[in-house]
Amino acid sequence: MNVTLKPEDTRPAGEFKQPSPLLAARFDPTGTYAFASAEDNVIHRWTLADGKRVELKGHKSWLRGLAFSAKDKLLLSGDYTGKVFFWPVEGETPTREVQAHDGWVRALAVNGGEAMLASCGNDRLIKLWSLPDGKPVRTLEGHESHVYNVAFHPTQPLLVSADLKGVVKVWQIEKGSVERELDAKLLHKYDTTFGADIGGVRSIAFTSDGKHLACAGITNVTNAFAGVGNPLVVLFDWEAAKVAQLLKPKQAFQGTAWGVVCHPDGHVVAAAGGNGGMLWFWKADKAEDLFAFKVPQNARDLALHPDGKRLAVPCADGVLRVYDATAK
Amino acid sequence: MPRNPACGSTEHVLSRRGFLHGALGVGGAALSFGSLVQPAAATELNKQQKRVLLVWLSGGVSQLETWDPKPGTPTGGPFQAIPTSVPGTHICELLPHTAKILHRLALVRGININENDHGKGAYFMHTGRKQEPAMKYPHLGSVCAKLLTTADNPLPGYIHVTPKGNGGVSKEDAAFLGPRYASLALSDGQAPANITLPDGVSPDAEAQRQELRGLLNDRFASARKTAETEAYTGSYDQASQLMARRHLFDLTREPEKSRERYGNHDFGRHCLTARRLLEGGATFVKVTHTNYDTHHENFDFHIEQLGEFDRPFATLVTDLHDRGLLDSTLVIVMSEFGRTPKINRNLGRDHWGTAWSIAVGGCGIQGGAVVGKTNEQGTAVTDRMVHGGHLFHTYFKALGLNPNKNWYINEQPIPMTDPKAEAIAEILA
Amino acid sequence: MPAPRLLSLAAFLLVVGVSRADEPLHRRIDGLIAKGLPEFAAVAASKADDAEFLRRVTLDLTGTIPTADEARAFLADSSLDKRTKLIDRLLASPEHARHFATVLDVMLMERRKTQTVASAAWLDYLREAVAANKPWDVLVREILSADGSDAKTRPASRFLLDRAEPHQMTRDVGRLLLGVNLQCAQCHDHPKIDEYKQAHYFGIFAFLGRTTTVNDPTLKLVVLTEKADGETTFQSVFDPKKETKTGQPQLPGGKVVADKPVEAGKEYVVAPPTAKGAPPARTVPTYSRRAQLAPLLATADNTAFKRNIANRLWAHLLGRGLVHPLDLDHADNPPSHPELLDLLAQEMESHNFDVRHLLREIALSEAYQRSSVPTAKGAEAEPDRFVTAKLKPLSPEQLALALMQATGFTDNQRQALGAKATEAALYAKLAPSVAPFVNAFASEPGTAESFDARVEQALFLANGPTVKTWLVPAGNNLTARLAKAASPEALAEDLYLSVYTRRPTAEEAKLVAGFLARRTDKPQAIQDLVWALLASTEFRFNH
Repeated sequence: MNVTLKPEDTRPAGEFKQPSPLLAARFDPTGTYAFASAEDNVIHRWTLADGKRVELKGHKSWLRGLAFSAKDKLLLSGDYTGKVFFWPVEGETPTREVQAHDGWVRALAVNGGEAMLASCGNDRLIKLWSLPDGKPVRTLEGHESHVYNVAFHPTQPLLVSADLKGVVKVWQIEKGSVERELDAKLLHKYDTTFGADIGGVRSIAFTSDGKHLACAGITNVTNAFAGVGNPLVVLFDWEAAKVAQLLKPKQAFQGTAWGVVCHPDGHVVAAAGGNGGMLWFWKADKAEDLFAFKVPQNARDLALHPDGKRLAVPCADGVLRVYDATAK
Repeated sequence: MPRNPACGSTEHVLSRRGFLHGALGVGGAALSFGSLVQPAAATELNKQQKRVLLVWLSGGVSQLETWDPKPGTPTGGPFQAIPTSVPGTHICELLPHTAKILHRLALVRGININENDHGKGAYFMHTGRKQEPAMKYPHLGSVCAKLLTTADNPLPGYIHVTPKGNGGVSKEDAAFLGPRYASLALSDGQAPANITLPDGVSPDAEAQRQELRGLLNDRFASARKTAETEAYTGSYDQASQLMARRHLFDLTREPEKSRERYGNHDFGRHCLTARRLLEGGATFVKVTHTNYDTHHENFDFHIEQLGEFDRPFATLVTDLHDRGLLDSTLVIVMSEFGRTPKINRNLGRDHWGTAWSIAVGGCGIQGGAVVGKTNEQGTAVTDRMVHGGHLFHTYFKALGLNPNKNWYINEQPIPMTDPKAEAIAEILA
Repeated sequence: MPAPRLLSLAAFLLVVGVSRADEPLHRRIDGLIAKGLPEFAAVAASKADDAEFLRRVTLDLTGTIPTADEARAFLADSSLDKRTKLIDRLLASPEHARHFATVLDVMLMERRKTQTVASAAWLDYLREAVAANKPWDVLVREILSADGSDAKTRPASRFLLDRAEPHQMTRDVGRLLLGVNLQCAQCHDHPKIDEYKQAHYFGIFAFLGRTTTVNDPTLKLVVLTEKADGETTFQSVFDPKKETKTGQPQLPGGKVVADKPVEAGKEYVVAPPTAKGAPPARTVPTYSRRAQLAPLLATADNTAFKRNIANRLWAHLLGRGLVHPLDLDHADNPPSHPELLDLLAQEMESHNFDVRHLLREIALSEAYQRSSVPTAKGAEAEPDRFVTAKLKPLSPEQLALALMQATGFTDNQRQALGAKATEAALYAKLAPSVAPFVNAFASEPGTAESFDARVEQALFLANGPTVKTWLVPAGNNLTARLAKAASPEALAEDLYLSVYTRRPTAEEAKLVAGFLARRTDKPQAIQDLVWALLASTEFRFNH
């Protein structure tokens, strides 16, 4: 794909509404649909062309885990009861249900070959499943706090997982062992006033060449229970296993970066919610954003359309906002 | 125009005679404590030592994430409800250990205190009275220290096990009962400072210097004796008794297995200290768990906080039962209010005094009872609405105290509980 | 009264140019006290003996106890006017200035933590005022008119500035400067006190309602700032109709101070910033309501102002106000001796609010110099008759300083400083040890100081490191001296004079000797002995 973003031209390209606050969103690999999970336990599927909406019901709790296998035309969704559902992308009922974790499934990822699904959650485990049959392959243990995200490296046989405390582990998939660790602890804090941990790697994304890994969340927390802190994207140099850049908003913003995507043209984009919603566009060579775009409501996630032109931002008011970030 | 809510001075209720005769000390309110309770009541209570365990979930725990879950509703959030040891009663999945012992507890699900302010809510829940400018009422802890503690009880009547950094004495919570009944706060559950003899002073030497001090005081008192000098000399006796009991604060004396059951974290240790204090004769022990004021990320934080609360609390109640103490120990788990059914844009819940719950158990309480209901989404109480005043009456009755009695301040009667409320009979044994 | 004393007083009066031949104030005080109870002379306690008096007046005027040598000297002095001379010497001492500054600080700030004005600067300001015997009305006018913007007067601004908001200021101006606790009248006319009405509360509030604090960007300080407009309105919580009334600037019972009209466009001397988005800054109105308060309140014309200071000075020495509690002066709570309070208030006026003068006269009175041991009949009398001296618990500062003096810690410091032992230099050595006592013994910030006896305090005194350190023999401190005492009698004498400011009785000397004889570990035994006296009631209280 040779699309180039022009952040200053970011403009609405569709609003998809339903009443329940949204949690997570993804486009399907064909780019036909936008999926968003809501606080009513339903996955909403909109056809982008005509805006038609279908409800995928079955989950009995919230979910943020969404992933796809284009090959098998599958949607995978993982919920806070620990279940993973398999859906035909264009269907309305699940075809398979796996009790994957004890407690929340926090995230799902499908590998490049689409033969494997990774899930992670509050039981501090990462589990690998074969696709499309959902058979358990391996369990990866070692995290000492809730595992918030997983992602497969685009080219190497490696899996990355990241937790509440900002610990990022890189796993050899075949061996099931940790090859190295990255430090994203800036995205965590134990607030001693309130006696609780805040943070976690809320969103994770590789650049398409696999040379960088972006981890997003909240930092500088001074008041965990009021959410007083700032969004941050920690961009790692993958080979060097070190921080390449700490991507921050130029203008101070109070809130959490809930979603981050790495565009093939080199932009790193994040969406945040806190005192309202925002989108920022960075390039890796500069810590401050090149452009900030105000989203009318708190953003809860961020997805990049396969066409590389559009971004989906699921918001707390139940509206899935789609933006075109290319030149007008 | 802001009201000054802390305008509580006892002068408000003093009679003209009280003013003229002035039993007050210089600039203060040191009253003649002896006149506070009718003598007959005091002896009646000595029959069986009762005690109270108050677990204070500071900040406002969410009733939807604890005692009154509403899964599958727009306000319910992501958690499921789980069955408990009480058939037909479900609580939030975040309390699996407590669910197993719910038959030892009763739930009050219809609380409306009409208050969303931390300070005012906490005052109402601790004193059984809505905060008003005219009068400051004492905390339940100070009331119990006054009414339940026998004269020979060596421990301070109202002990507060607090998280690190919150030690000292609150001079406010005993109100007109006087500082003797104020809470003694133990920061991080540690023994009060200076609880061991200084180096060089052996127990023998201590006994001798205390004896001499006593002799000197007797000489002085033969000519000059006041309530203040008595309070002063008495404080050393209290100190000695507390020193003799410092083993109660020493958790290394607990078998390792026992410490494991309570959990290797602050609240776990504090619950274990509370058990030791209650076993050691403490009348009223409050344990604070901080914090629950989850305006942001309510669900993640409740996983963490209730994850800390659940097991030690259940262990503590079970231990009290196993040691034969639960029948004489009133257990209360409460906050200053609950949390909004509406989930805000930051996945948080805000202050909510309108429809929420507490749990009580032990002495005088009908285990397994559930009183009060809220509507489908938890936005209103639909059945058996009660407030802090009703709860206060209920605590009194559970402890075998008469809630319709008065304190007497300079011969002026002050009701011990809100005269407009009454006990919640449905949860009394 | 022995003739020579009367003559010396009369001579004193003539020397200072007072033309009246009135009885000295302290005599008039005693006359009015005696009138307050039938057969007063039969009921009243006898005069305190020299030791009692010495300790009491030293604590009351300088905040600590005398050294053993000072005690010996005073007890041995046979001159008939030694008490008067002692009072004068103490009042003139820098220790008095330090102590009374602390007393005023606690009275005016009630242990509030420093917010914006450094408390050290505030204390220095008070100390200098006491040392110079600044008239009380002048002091209060300074306190009420400083806004914190001028470095010279900033320390004085602490009273208002650290309270920050006008309701707090109103409440405490009433309580502490006028002796009227109008707190409840914020919400409604006082249900029991006819004289405390909402109109009174909001009358004072109206002077202060346009004032707040601001962190001025130019001065880079938090200062008071005042608007040129804004009305004070109030409603009663008891009024079902919720009628809104307007508060007019006036003192309780006083005339309304009408705003002076100001030319339109000229409302400010220092105007609010006009630039959009400019941060808030200090403003000074052309007509300041707050500026009217000081000259109106702190004057001889203001009866409440005079009565309040007279009452508080009386309470400082006698342990109880004539109006009791100190901030509830009203018709239904009359003073125990109305004529006396009137007299003292009048004396403040006629002597230009000379605080030292009033303290001196009260200290000279028989009422003050009465023993704290009651007669048989006196034990039954009400405390407001002043037939017996009242026991007063030592303040946290007094306790700390008295312990340091008793144990000889202070003597060691004094000795080490040698020629450089000024009051300030010595106090600098003692001050760090005062803080733990304030932590352990002071009342809740924002409330009037009161006594309580808590178990943590007993533990602090019994087992804490502070007192323990002072008991370890060092230099020429008490335990070091006692270890070298020439005889058991000498030991008991030094011990009692150092700690109790009196000589032991024969029985007490025997008790001390017996205590030590029973112990084989003499050095520890001496420490334990001293501790027992320090922890006793006789030490803890001013009697």
